[in-house]
Amino acid sequence: MGGMITQKSLIAWIVAWIAFAVFMLLLPQYVESGTLRLIISANFVAIFAMSWDFLSGKTGYISFGHPFLIGIGAYATAILNYRFHVPIGYSIPLAVVFTLVGGIVYFLPALRIKGTYFALVTLAFMELMYQFTQVIRPDLTGGTRGISGVQTMLVGARPNYYFTFLLMFGIAIVLWLLSRTRAGTALDAIAMNEEAVSGSGLSTTKLKLFAFLVSATVAGIGGAFYVHYQGSIAPRAIFEIDFVFKIIVSALIGGASTIVGPMLGAFFMSFLFDYLRPFLPGTERFFLFGVAALLLYVYQPKGIYQIVADLISGLRAKFAGEAGNGKAA
Amino acid sequence: MTQILIQGFLLSGLYALMAIGFTLIFSVGRVLNLAYGSYLMLGGYAYFYVSQALHMPKLLGFASAIVMGGVAGVLMYKLLVKRLAGDQVAVEISTLILAVVIQAGVVLVFNDSTKILLPIVNGVWRVGSASITFNMLAAMVASWVILAGLFVFVKRTHLGRAIQAVSMDPKGAVISGVDTDRINLITWAISGALGSTAGVFFAAYTQLNPSMWVAPLIIVVAVVIVGGIGSIVGSLIVAHIIGFMEIITTSLISAQMRGVFTMALIIGVLLLRPQGLFGRSDL
Amino acid sequence: MAKLLEVDGVHKRFGGIVATDNLSFTVEKGESLALIGPNGAGKTTIFSLIMGEIRQQEGAIRLKGEDISRLPTHRRIQRGIARTYQVPRPFADMDVAGNIRVGMMPDSLRQMLMRGPDLEAELEVALSVGFTEADLGRTPSTLSMGDLRKLELARTLATKPEIMLLDEVFAGLTVGEIAQISELLAKKRAEGMTFVIVSHDLRALEPLVDRATAMNFGRQIAEGSFADVMGDAEVRAAYLGE
Repeated sequence: MGGMITQKSLIAWIVAWIAFAVFMLLLPQYVESGTLRLIISANFVAIFAMSWDFLSGKTGYISFGHPFLIGIGAYATAILNYRFHVPIGYSIPLAVVFTLVGGIVYFLPALRIKGTYFALVTLAFMELMYQFTQVIRPDLTGGTRGISGVQTMLVGARPNYYFTFLLMFGIAIVLWLLSRTRAGTALDAIAMNEEAVSGSGLSTTKLKLFAFLVSATVAGIGGAFYVHYQGSIAPRAIFEIDFVFKIIVSALIGGASTIVGPMLGAFFMSFLFDYLRPFLPGTERFFLFGVAALLLYVYQPKGIYQIVADLISGLRAKFAGEAGNGKAA
Repeated sequence: MTQILIQGFLLSGLYALMAIGFTLIFSVGRVLNLAYGSYLMLGGYAYFYVSQALHMPKLLGFASAIVMGGVAGVLMYKLLVKRLAGDQVAVEISTLILAVVIQAGVVLVFNDSTKILLPIVNGVWRVGSASITFNMLAAMVASWVILAGLFVFVKRTHLGRAIQAVSMDPKGAVISGVDTDRINLITWAISGALGSTAGVFFAAYTQLNPSMWVAPLIIVVAVVIVGGIGSIVGSLIVAHIIGFMEIITTSLISAQMRGVFTMALIIGVLLLRPQGLFGRSDL
Repeated sequence: MAKLLEVDGVHKRFGGIVATDNLSFTVEKGESLALIGPNGAGKTTIFSLIMGEIRQQEGAIRLKGEDISRLPTHRRIQRGIARTYQVPRPFADMDVAGNIRVGMMPDSLRQMLMRGPDLEAELEVALSVGFTEADLGRTPSTLSMGDLRKLELARTLATKPEIMLLDEVFAGLTVGEIAQISELLAKKRAEGMTFVIVSHDLRALEPLVDRATAMNFGRQIAEGSFADVMGDAEVRAAYLGE
């Protein structure tokens, strides 16, 4: 792998990103608002899936309680804005700060435990939040019923579409760039062999904290804006396994640790879900989707990203072969 | 006060019964089976279908629940866990997905609504100011009987000792001539059967609902994590701690807080003493 | 002659077993010390103790005069000491270049984020252990044992150590691979690298070391020139059994 190839593939990536953005920005002219709403939903799932991926996909510390972080962002801005009349311009950044603090709390167990135990702690954190929001200070959190009538930021499908897409796109680019730095490489290495990373002279604590905080920031941003899109929030809607399922499956189907994969996976999942609706209303889709996800996970755990990557390198090889020059791309 | 004591023992008994199957798999397979709660759900629904929908005798309902659980366990092992051999993360994630799939499956077959299970044993016993439902009493008795039986099974029988061996040192067990695959298969079947048995009682205690697999999963995880791997006695003790904590919280503070202490306990133990209160510290 | 590494009265128990029994030795800058002994003598244990992977109950470990006994592993490596492992542990899903890259990285998030990898330096390290440029793109699963050892050495060298602890670096290699590795070590030795080498392959070991220390049951049983140590009665008994 020499420097020149990286240059070439970098250009290809940039072109792909730009093409993607242009396509998505032009789309509203050609589709109706129902589809736009679907994409808005998908944008949020993509944000959450990428947040999960930067942590769990990259470092291997599986988070089964990611809604814990998302929920802090969502509840923080909802409470500040609805109860204390803090304008959105302030409540959202503050919510992200709160989520960062939550991220540090979420990180602490990772100092001492790994693997399965860590995953269980995250699940416990989420369950704890589920109980907390219902029981502690229900005057603020709205208890079991949550808060409704939260100020919505933008009205109408199109404005929300543009905004959420740009938000998602921006996050995707930033996370993607981060994962291409040496820090990203180090995080990948942690997933492969954490001891060998400290055996290479690097502080795994620092690296893990970095991953946690980045993931928390994105989760907080996503959660905060989500609440101001939906206009409401309730414990049932956020701190539950179905949500975890959606996020993780999107990330896995797309291709864990690639950032781009989860983004694609979220879109894929959202669209497929919706596409199947007229044929299989209700829970059947969950069933089918789950089974498909399982099969995919067992047989191609690297997800859509890998499938596409293999396709591209297959095409490249074919092209190079046909060109007769044999210069390996 | 008596009410608290009695209710505490009863609930703890139920929790112990629920946790046994999970302890077995976690200790032996080192596998976090997030679909364990599904066994409970399958057991509850199987019993409901056979005994209430088809009006068959209750014993038959029980039998079908046990069979259902055992079969589910075997299938989980063969189709999922074995394929993903060794990759702990993959097993965790896929059992989570499986649990949601099973939930969807249950909704498809039975529809979404909550169902009330008729008590397995009718009647209430009044002791002073306290009341004991025979239902819960049956659960508690069943759990002690099963626990005792399991204890004897593991310590005394050849198969039980083989299971212990695999749980302590899989490679060593293979060298000693133990067919680990067969042992794992049997363990998963037993775990499933235990889970579904507990599920019948749990469903009678609460209610039948397609999302009922989550709460027991959390409790069971708490029992095993806090109790420690490899310690059946530990699970028993912790089941009682958690059971009593919930009853005390419900009676003295508020019913809604009952889950909070359990969560805090999990987090506290995992941070301060990851091997659990009674677990082997060589982990 | 400066003392680079000092192991001073280090004592390590695992439950009832004494793995390291009041062990002391020093390594001077620029010298190459052989650490020999039968299986179970505690050689790998003392390596793990020196690197901070496990902690001793008593005794101190000093690097360049500084007591590093309380430092975490990565800080000890940053101070100039590194080791290889009997069973190589590369990053399985990364290619050779990536593996070296992790070793070369500075422990600073700022640097990791702001500056890209130094591809030329990576290539240099790879070439210095005997890889070719084409090898940079290969993954560990396609490497032979000899290549995996070379990769270990490359990754370890990437951390710019002043002293290297080599744990059974010749194990499982073909004669040709042993020659390659020996040549590499000799070259580094000539450049001034300090070594502590554990190996059962005494023939390959002899030309690479200045001194030897023999261990058994966690204790030092002999010390001196390689020939003297190999001739020592207790050492021979330890190897051949009593």
